[in-house]
Amino acid sequence: MQEILSALVVHDIKNSLALLEIDLEQLNHQEGVPIEGQRAYRRCIELKNRLMSFLTLYKHDQSGLKPMVSEVDLTEFLEDLVSDSQSVMMGVNHQGHPIAVRVDYDRIKEAIADRGIGFFDENLVELALESALNNALRYAHHQVSVWFEQGVDAQAFMVLDDGVGVGVVDEMMQRKVAAKSSSTGLGLALCKAVAGAHGTGSVTLESVAGGGTLFTMTLHRVS
Amino acid sequence: MNETSGMEALVGGRKPIENEYVDFSKLSVLVIDDISAMRHAVRSQLQSLGINSIKLASTATEGLVQVEANSFDLIVCDYNLNSASSGQHFLEHLRSENLLSATSIFVMLTAETEYDFVANAVEFIPDDYLLKPCSEKKLRSRLMRLLDRRAFLMPVLKAINVRQYDVAVKECNRLLSMAPDDRRVLDVLRRKADAQLAMQDYASVLETFDRAAAIRCDVPWIMMGQARAHYALGELETAATIAKALVEKNRNYVSAYELLSKISLDSDDEEGAYEYLNRSSAILPSAKRFRAVSQAAFLLGRLEEAKSNSLEAIRLSTGSMVERTGDYLSLAQAQVDMGDQKGAVDTLEKTARKHGEVGLFGVAKNAILAQAYFDLGDKEKSRKLLERSASLLGNRKNSFVMTALGKSALKVGDVVFGLKLMTQAVQVSGKDEKRIARHVKKSMVDTGHVDKVEDVIDGGRKRILSLVDEATRLMRSAHFDEANQKVMEALSIHDENLEALLTAAQLHLLWLKHGGLDEAIVEQAKFYLSTLDKLVPNNQKVMNFYRFYNEIVSQ
Repeated sequence: MQEILSALVVHDIKNSLALLEIDLEQLNHQEGVPIEGQRAYRRCIELKNRLMSFLTLYKHDQSGLKPMVSEVDLTEFLEDLVSDSQSVMMGVNHQGHPIAVRVDYDRIKEAIADRGIGFFDENLVELALESALNNALRYAHHQVSVWFEQGVDAQAFMVLDDGVGVGVVDEMMQRKVAAKSSSTGLGLALCKAVAGAHGTGSVTLESVAGGGTLFTMTLHRVS
Repeated sequence: MNETSGMEALVGGRKPIENEYVDFSKLSVLVIDDISAMRHAVRSQLQSLGINSIKLASTATEGLVQVEANSFDLIVCDYNLNSASSGQHFLEHLRSENLLSATSIFVMLTAETEYDFVANAVEFIPDDYLLKPCSEKKLRSRLMRLLDRRAFLMPVLKAINVRQYDVAVKECNRLLSMAPDDRRVLDVLRRKADAQLAMQDYASVLETFDRAAAIRCDVPWIMMGQARAHYALGELETAATIAKALVEKNRNYVSAYELLSKISLDSDDEEGAYEYLNRSSAILPSAKRFRAVSQAAFLLGRLEEAKSNSLEAIRLSTGSMVERTGDYLSLAQAQVDMGDQKGAVDTLEKTARKHGEVGLFGVAKNAILAQAYFDLGDKEKSRKLLERSASLLGNRKNSFVMTALGKSALKVGDVVFGLKLMTQAVQVSGKDEKRIARHVKKSMVDTGHVDKVEDVIDGGRKRILSLVDEATRLMRSAHFDEANQKVMEALSIHDENLEALLTAAQLHLLWLKHGGLDEAIVEQAKFYLSTLDKLVPNNQKVMNFYRFYNEIVSQ
């Protein structure tokens, strides 16, 4: 009974949140929307993303995520990821200046093994990368780059920010408010779950020389 | 903070989207969701994209009415419709009944909890899945991609829509030479295989799937395609190997289990067939699947399972578009055989009362009731019901119903009539021959006529075939009149027998070629061709006959 009840409540909350988001989205189409309306939309999106990550992880714990593998054009996938990302559009640095997020075509051109077509679950990987982007945007100073690399039996997605490195982030995280650190932890766990669902995937966070953090999610080909 | 600029970009601007390939304003869309607020919210998003023609439906049944009345470019359907028919059932129904135009795009909205259930599980997949909730921007970019893909495939899709499959294959070959990447190549190969499949050109289907597998060998739909093609070519072992490898990696791939079940049945492994069907109905329960399990269980003599699966089929389909009166018959027959005569009477006289005696259902209903009352000791009532059943059947030919009636006749002691019906049931069974033969055999064993099983089944099969053989021999020696008499005799036993119809068509075409354009023979030839086209659409042989016919008539 308890379980059924909580499932129903969660389902209800998610549906209501989805409706609220669409209402706010449509509201923000109108001219002269007050700043509170805009802020409410933003908060709603954050809340929804948190809930989605949580539910996806819960699903992973309960019965495992089963990816639906389809053929995906990697460049197009990343372009859509960036242009559709709600985190990207809300991304501002500490001074309130927007952060530029770009697909790094130069790095992509360097390494295409499978003619730029990947085989993975688009929805799950998008969910994971959206949370990686969200995380990068919170620490970036001016810009974030995303790209992919392809090997013979693996493909990797990279998200690089120009903020302080990951070691510093860890220290900062301990001082940061609980909400932020919990969302980072949630996001990372989600990425690991998604990578794991695709076989022997992996997720790493590392500092790069000259500052910044590089997020890498590798998906191995299921053979 | 510079909120305004961010927000403007976030909502994607107020103006309808303009794109040189995609004109959203011209699209017609159907949205199906059981939650009214959600339905209207999705409509608002679509309107913001510039789409004007949007219809709404709250159930699969309502959706079906819309699909039958309109032609939609796009259907956005929620997976969880909170009723007997889910979004997946709806899609399966549309695709298996050919109600969806090849140019229509079907997008399934799913929640994360339903995700692995719909994905990876089934034969009929939508063009795309969208995880709920979906923002307007994401909806737009996914739709643009789908429409872009549709635009690329359009010549092929149009040809498929008017069933010009040879044209579709040619268009596919043209597109393959200009496909920019592997993803497009796979898109085209998939459609090419569809077209070849419709023409029943299985060797080419296999070639197409093999070519796709050379690009990527572990994609479920490619493996499934290979397995099906091998199966159609009679290579059961290869088909089974591939299907098993497929379910090894994708435990929920229902259609692979269904193919494995067919393979088991063809190899006379009824037990295995039953097991595979059971697994598929456990993964994705549907009335159709429970029905299949019930049949298999019944033939294995597992009456309890037959009963419970029929009950499930009834429970899932009552009041929906997949309701079938046959479920009550299966249930009642299982009950009679279990010795639960009262239960069978209840099922047919009370539960299924609303279906009356309509059509063939009435025939079988009275036949099964006759068995029940016979066992209950009411011989008089039993005899009357049997007569009622026989008079309702009249001259109609239906294997399943004839088997039920035959069993009743055998049970009440009218052996001559019973055996005659059983023999006819086999004769008219057509593509269901194997299944009917099993039912006939079981009924005869159950009623104590095991010694006559072979006579009845072989006799039923051979009679038509020997007539057709004679007709073919006569036709080859240009004895058209005599050949026609033999064919007519074969068709009088079963007017939908494929061999007989094919011979009849061929005979009349040759007759025209050699004897000139006789009005009556032209009419007959046309009749046989159109009957064949209805029975086996897109059959290569029939299409060749049509070509031959056009050549003769145009001369």
